[in-house]
Amino acid sequence: MKLTGPLERVLRVLTADPSAPHYGYDLMKAAKLPSGTLYPMLARLEQDGLVGSEWEAQREDAAGRPPRKYYRLTAEGLRVARLELAQAASRSPARQAGYGTARPTRGSTARPAPGSTR
Amino acid sequence: MSRAPRVQQLAEWLIRAACRRLPADIRAERCREWTAELPAILGDESIRPPVRRAMRALSFCAGISRTTRQLDRSARSGARRSRSSQWRTGAPAAQSPHVAVRALLGFLIWLVVVFGVIALVRVLPHASGWPLGVIVALGIGFDAFCLADIARAARVRHLPKWAWVLICLIQTPAGGIIYLSIGRIARPRPAPPGGQAP
Repeated sequence: MKLTGPLERVLRVLTADPSAPHYGYDLMKAAKLPSGTLYPMLARLEQDGLVGSEWEAQREDAAGRPPRKYYRLTAEGLRVARLELAQAASRSPARQAGYGTARPTRGSTARPAPGSTR
Repeated sequence: MSRAPRVQQLAEWLIRAACRRLPADIRAERCREWTAELPAILGDESIRPPVRRAMRALSFCAGISRTTRQLDRSARSGARRSRSSQWRTGAPAAQSPHVAVRALLGFLIWLVVVFGVIALVRVLPHASGWPLGVIVALGIGFDAFCLADIARAARVRHLPKWAWVLICLIQTPAGGIIYLSIGRIARPRPAPPGGQAP
């Protein structure tokens, strides 16, 4: 799995509370990603078995709202995500310290900080 | 106010249109998933003027369109690897020549057609109207052939289908020739039911 900036942001949101289910728009807002980036990523993660999805049960109080599909990390996904995030943090400690826009120097293995390419 | 439901209807229509690209077994579920997100976007109080919510919903649909295109592409590359693609059921497609060769061939055909028509008009007597009628009929027939081919093709090259339709309609012989030489993907004829004896 190649940890790109957007993927890292999604994993951060999902690992923040691994038991909490997220629906698509919720993830879009929390990770600040457009739908065209988020959904292909979720489909890939789901195919790899790292993310599971379930349909919301139809509730009476939901005033005609159609049931949503919720995403959540699987046990394997949580393990992989924590590992990847820890590796990303150790690769560029500067980013963890808040220098979010730090550019990677030439030849280093650091990746661009999330959001620096937009 | 009737704007919100109308935006939602438009967005649902866009999502359904985007979902048509998906394989049939996941189409309905994906469509349900994405249309279920729309009320959350259109009812999001943190996006202040309601107009911005509508814009957000439409950009959500644009992203869904990109998503289905990508899912379709990855499903297709998977199918190609497993050799179960629809086009593989017949004879294997002939290797099509390089795009420059095809463009050159198309240009030569266009030259022949244009100068042939000019020669025909000059040679034949002006008084009789029939050569013009025949040329117009041939043009319409050629356009119809190209449009039918675009409609039946599973995919076309380089441009979306609607762009090729426009090109074919705007310039009658040239547009169709450009489509056939550059945009069309050669597809094998379906295998005859009985199978040909070798």
